[in-house]
Amino acid sequence: MRIADVVGTVTLNCAHPSLRGASIKLAAPLSWDNLAGHWDERLEEIAVYDELGAGVGSRIAVSEGREASMPFYPEVKPVDAYNAAILDSLEYDLPNNERHNNG
Amino acid sequence: MFLGRVMGHATSTVKHPSMKGWKLLLVMALRADEKTIEGDPILVVDSIGAGKGQTVVITSDGIGARELLGHKNTPVRWSVLGIRDP
Amino acid sequence: MMIAKVTGSLVSTEKVGSIVGHKLMMVEPFRLDPQDRKSLVSTGRSLVAVDTVGAGEGEIVLITQGSSARLTPETKNLPVDTVIIGIIDSVHVAQACVYDKKGQEARGEG
Repeated sequence: MRIADVVGTVTLNCAHPSLRGASIKLAAPLSWDNLAGHWDERLEEIAVYDELGAGVGSRIAVSEGREASMPFYPEVKPVDAYNAAILDSLEYDLPNNERHNNG
Repeated sequence: MFLGRVMGHATSTVKHPSMKGWKLLLVMALRADEKTIEGDPILVVDSIGAGKGQTVVITSDGIGARELLGHKNTPVRWSVLGIRDP
Repeated sequence: MMIAKVTGSLVSTEKVGSIVGHKLMMVEPFRLDPQDRKSLVSTGRSLVAVDTVGAGEGEIVLITQGSSARLTPETKNLPVDTVIIGIIDSVHVAQACVYDKKGQEARGEG
């Protein structure tokens, strides 16, 4: 999972039948720079299927790709990002000698 | 599979039921030189007790994660496969 | 999923058999304006998506990418990796509205 901060909500007017009633949150994934307190560059926001009731400001673990739809199995839903956990705490050391791969 | 360095961990109360009782490590994926960070911070399920600073093998096999957690509906994909000997 | 804007439809006469009869749209993934986070702006990328909801040019939609794009009855047998799964009514960031379909249509920007 990547880590993301919930920044907003997305309301659908017309959705695929399998997504009726879904709660979709807008979330900003966090980079190592963001974790280090540098917010001048932000990653692209993603829309996340939320069943846990995350609010704006919640820090969450986002499952992406095929696994994001596994909670619904054997039902199929076209979901590629799923809120797997609302984080209570995140304790970490920052990278120091390591460089970022921007390529 | 790829190598990552354990940088920390996360705790969570409200989460997918399949993740109850599992440790979530914050991992930095590494490139070949083991100095360059690949991508964003990731949260990885750990069953073997890897600790901060250790270099671990991460697998992205979702089927393996479903077997490890014993839950066919888990959204987890990444798990620790092993700790590299120092 | 990502927020995206439908920028047009795509016509392809010569195509693989499985995709015949499916509508292909050009979409641009959008993100929050990195400067003030008060509006949606294009990422500059462009994707071709198969449509399941009848989206039209100019509409802001939700897209799913990757193998999850096959997880609808309409797309399960299609060789596609991007699908439009909803038409967006509004996007709110904190308490502020950064996109509103009705407001946009009223201003004639739809």
